[in-house]
Amino acid sequence: MRRKASLVLLALAVFVGALSPLLRWYAFPRLAKIPPSQYQEAVLEAKNATLIDYGTMQSKTVPKVTVVQTLKGNVEAAKEIEKSAGRDVVVWDTLSFVQGPDGKMVSQIPERYIFDAHSQAPVHATGEMVDGDPVQRKGIEFKFPFLTEKRDYEYFDFQARTSAPIHYKGTQKFHGLDVYYFEQTIPWTKVAYPKKMPLPGIDSSTLEKTTGTSLWYTTTRKFWIDPVTGAPVNGEEVNQEEMRGGTLLGGRDKVTVFAGDVKMRDDYVSYTVDLVKKNRVLVLLLTSYLPWGFLGLGLALLALSLWLEARSRRPSDPPPAVTERLDPVIA
Amino acid sequence: MRALIAAAIGLAAALALVLTISAIGAPEGKTSPKPLLTTVPSAPGKITQTK
Repeated sequence: MRRKASLVLLALAVFVGALSPLLRWYAFPRLAKIPPSQYQEAVLEAKNATLIDYGTMQSKTVPKVTVVQTLKGNVEAAKEIEKSAGRDVVVWDTLSFVQGPDGKMVSQIPERYIFDAHSQAPVHATGEMVDGDPVQRKGIEFKFPFLTEKRDYEYFDFQARTSAPIHYKGTQKFHGLDVYYFEQTIPWTKVAYPKKMPLPGIDSSTLEKTTGTSLWYTTTRKFWIDPVTGAPVNGEEVNQEEMRGGTLLGGRDKVTVFAGDVKMRDDYVSYTVDLVKKNRVLVLLLTSYLPWGFLGLGLALLALSLWLEARSRRPSDPPPAVTERLDPVIA
Repeated sequence: MRALIAAAIGLAAALALVLTISAIGAPEGKTSPKPLLTTVPSAPGKITQTK
């Protein structure tokens, strides 16, 4: 009976012991993926920013400029691309909507970002774009990969429409989480005018050609990343845009279009941190909690199995001593 | 010999379970009907526009 029990325990020990590496190294890379149907919005604000008034072409300090970023997973488009890509794909349709202090639109730039659902490697397919113009991204955008490493990544800048390194600058505490701080600087770069701007009667796509006035942009982008999920829990951009040269500026060399420190609104920081804290448990289950738990349980079951086996092999108690009765000798 | 068979049964069961779970995967869901925002939400998730 003990022997049977030890064999059952041995089978169980191997079962849970094998689950440990299988979950971490086989299941996790296949199960951990960004859901294709994700919808998320974030609000960022630049207080006391400099903003151009397109009516007078003068820049002035305004109390607040708000940026609303929305991303929406397009499940149908993802399925279509998956057919030719042969892997799990996520398609994010996004919009960066900038609103001035008067509540009116300053600019809005749509994007389509296509990437591998597991590794977040970019996938190039028809429809990948920034503001309607086809692009081919290198590196990542919006989010970092699962299990983010302490190293530099290539990050795509949608304004400059090019990728540049985003540098790992250290680990920090943020709302109780250990997060990785990344920073990227895009030097002054000539960029395309957003197709939607508050310039009535003017086609922004031909603005530079007709006036000779070009749009320039620089930014320092800061991200605080939860390394488990790769999700940003906070973001900030020190952003500057200028119009330079041409006939649009009335003889001036340059005019500031926007200058400000764009930070995530406090309620969105709290909301994002809560969301990330919830999601990171799911990742940690597969990468840490279950593998280590199963490994410990497997070892305990193995020890119990060996102990039972050893007990079953112990020699049984010696038989009771036989006292030989001697018959009396009768002479 | 019986120990080897027991270990093989345990290993096979673990492999079968993990392969099945990995093959099933996570549900994909549907594209959200919510719009890309052109208004500022008053709070996270509080979308006012009906575009």
